[in-house]
Amino acid sequence: MSATSQHTHPTPRVVPAAPRPTRTGRRRSGAVARAPWLLLTPFLALFALTFILPIIVAVISSFTKVTRRGLFGEAGITSSFAGFSNYAQALADGNFIASIGRMLLFGVVQVPVMIVLCTILALLLESASARWPGFFRAAFFLPYGVPGVIATILWSFLYVPGLSPLYSFASVFGLSPDFLGPNTVLWSIANIVTWSYTGYNMLIIIAQLKAIPGEVYEAAKVDGASPVRVAFSIQLPLIRPALVLTTIFSIIGTLQLFAEPQVLQSVSPAIDSQYTPNLSAYTTAFAYNDYNVAAAQAVLIALVAFILSFAFLAVTNRKSS
Amino acid sequence: MTPLTRRQIMRAGLGAAALGLLSGCATPGTRTVNAAPVIPPAGGNVTIEYWSWLKDLQPVADIWNAANPNVQVKTVWIPSGNSGGYPKLYSALAAGGGPDLAQVEFGVIPSFMMVNGLVDLSRYGAAEFAGRYDKTLWNQVSYAGGVYGIPQDSGPMALFYQPAVLGKVGAAAPATWDEWAGVATELRKTKTYMDCFPLADASFFTALTSQAGARWFRAEEDGWVVNMTDDATMKVARFFDNAIDKDIVQTGFGAYSPGWFAAAGSGEIASLTSASWGDALIEGVQGAAGKWKVAKMPVWGSSGYGSSYLGGSTAAVLANSKHPREALEFAAWLTSSHAGVDAEIKNCGIGWSPSPGFIGTTRQKPSAFFSGQNYNEEIFAPAATEQNPQWSWWPSQQQSFNILSDGFRKKASGTTLVDSIAMAEQQIMTVFRNSGLNIRKESA
Repeated sequence: MSATSQHTHPTPRVVPAAPRPTRTGRRRSGAVARAPWLLLTPFLALFALTFILPIIVAVISSFTKVTRRGLFGEAGITSSFAGFSNYAQALADGNFIASIGRMLLFGVVQVPVMIVLCTILALLLESASARWPGFFRAAFFLPYGVPGVIATILWSFLYVPGLSPLYSFASVFGLSPDFLGPNTVLWSIANIVTWSYTGYNMLIIIAQLKAIPGEVYEAAKVDGASPVRVAFSIQLPLIRPALVLTTIFSIIGTLQLFAEPQVLQSVSPAIDSQYTPNLSAYTTAFAYNDYNVAAAQAVLIALVAFILSFAFLAVTNRKSS
Repeated sequence: MTPLTRRQIMRAGLGAAALGLLSGCATPGTRTVNAAPVIPPAGGNVTIEYWSWLKDLQPVADIWNAANPNVQVKTVWIPSGNSGGYPKLYSALAAGGGPDLAQVEFGVIPSFMMVNGLVDLSRYGAAEFAGRYDKTLWNQVSYAGGVYGIPQDSGPMALFYQPAVLGKVGAAAPATWDEWAGVATELRKTKTYMDCFPLADASFFTALTSQAGARWFRAEEDGWVVNMTDDATMKVARFFDNAIDKDIVQTGFGAYSPGWFAAAGSGEIASLTSASWGDALIEGVQGAAGKWKVAKMPVWGSSGYGSSYLGGSTAAVLANSKHPREALEFAAWLTSSHAGVDAEIKNCGIGWSPSPGFIGTTRQKPSAFFSGQNYNEEIFAPAATEQNPQWSWWPSQQQSFNILSDGFRKKASGTTLVDSIAMAEQQIMTVFRNSGLNIRKESA
């Protein structure tokens, strides 16, 4: 601290009065130390109020239990410490566990498909032979600009029998698909999600591709490398950080899937009120009014997301070292 | 002592604010409003807010506002119940706010009572209005000696059918469910379904068991008594197990879904057993004018009742209302006065009037859409009197319905409805116990 203050305010060597400069110095150093906090205050206050505090409240709530007397609790209601009983109840709920399992299955299939797809699109658009890359980049990105709810409504009209032209198209080939059945609706949702987010992930990868210095490409050209060779030996290794980032975002996004199944529920009887973990927590909290178990579910969802993200990071880091 | 720095003050302030917020964050809905003193009627002018998913309700409220300058009513539209309205109301209640009045379906009243969300209107003179309402409906808003909502509309059930489609197999509207199954089997040979059975929405099945004479929940001194495996329920479950196995009902979509509208328009669905409010929705089927008629709901042989209620809602006074008496008076005017009922029918297309004395002026006339049939007076008015008076709703109704439909969905993988109901009953009992309520299975 004092080192910085001396640096910013050098005292003249000829003046021997020691205490005064140190006092001003200390005050200065205090001001310098305070400044970032002061500037951070608006952020920190909001961050604490809207992020840290709700998390603390949710965790506390997840350890609370409500007991009622009478037919509706009209004879008295008490809240008490519950230990892990809310967690036990959440974990004993087969539908909640099934929803996490469903999202894992969804993630195992949808995330790789989307990452491969967006990588291919990015490589194609950044290749030397691409035509109108600006137009196609915007076109691929466009679905991301459509809100998830609207995207789902758009797609639902392509999924509903009797309204969708896809059914009559498929019947030409003797197929009778069922996009909204119990076994297929998950992949219909995966299709919507892929449609929405591929372009967004593609942009992140393109940004990283653009950061590859031109000399590397020139060197490859001098060595006579084919475009495929360039992609596999130069581009893919160099965009690894972007791939890791988009994969982690996608894993977290998968666990937080909410709007698409919620909207598609109205046309597909196969989607129940606990189809995804978030839908499950939402239903528990706001339809069943069981805020405490919902809080426990939310904490569990966060834990699973943490574990998956860190496991993925650990695996990719081990590979690189 | 060193003077406090700004940072220390700030820190202390943040800490205090955080503590204050944390202590304010007790689990919502754990304070009882009905133990608090009665709020006397206000002397001066008051404004009442009514949250409802009825469209164009404000013009109706304006009729009241013109006659009652002291009690002005402001309506706010919310999404319908389970599609977002209830979460919104619950959140508002949890935050200590919310409107004076809210639209709450009959079956959901106990769930709102569980979070102490409703005012007991018997403390504000609800008894003086009781005589205006259908007894079955009044019974469904009365719990534990209190009154927790004013019936607003209901849905007596009947059979909407397309005579031309039934005519393909030479059938008329079936009078019993057995006849219904016979007609459905014949229709299936012509690639037509009689009706759909909604696997995802248990309210239809529940309404049919009520018609058959079931009484799932009973409130006793020592807690709730459940019986979802009685003969009436099992009869309905076996009937639809059979119908689904024989593929004579459509299970791919439910009534009023986009797929249903398409099928109803093209004549692939012959009929619809539904509530009186279904008439407006059927009028939305493309090219349907003159193709539909209404018949009495099929009955379960000699036992049970002539009809059942499907849907229907109340105007309930919410816990944080500052003017419960004024809200009650408005609700009673809205739902039982001629002016209120007629305006609600005209502007909001409300369901069946809860007041047996007056079904609404426009509903006393024949309908051009239904080929000149005076179906409201002929079919629905009698249906409203042929109800199961013992049926009563219970807390966590929505969760119970979800548990039931989760079981119904397993029908595709071979579980019968009969088995899934027995399992659902166990799960629902667990739900009751988890929320701290006493429940036991009906013995014998």
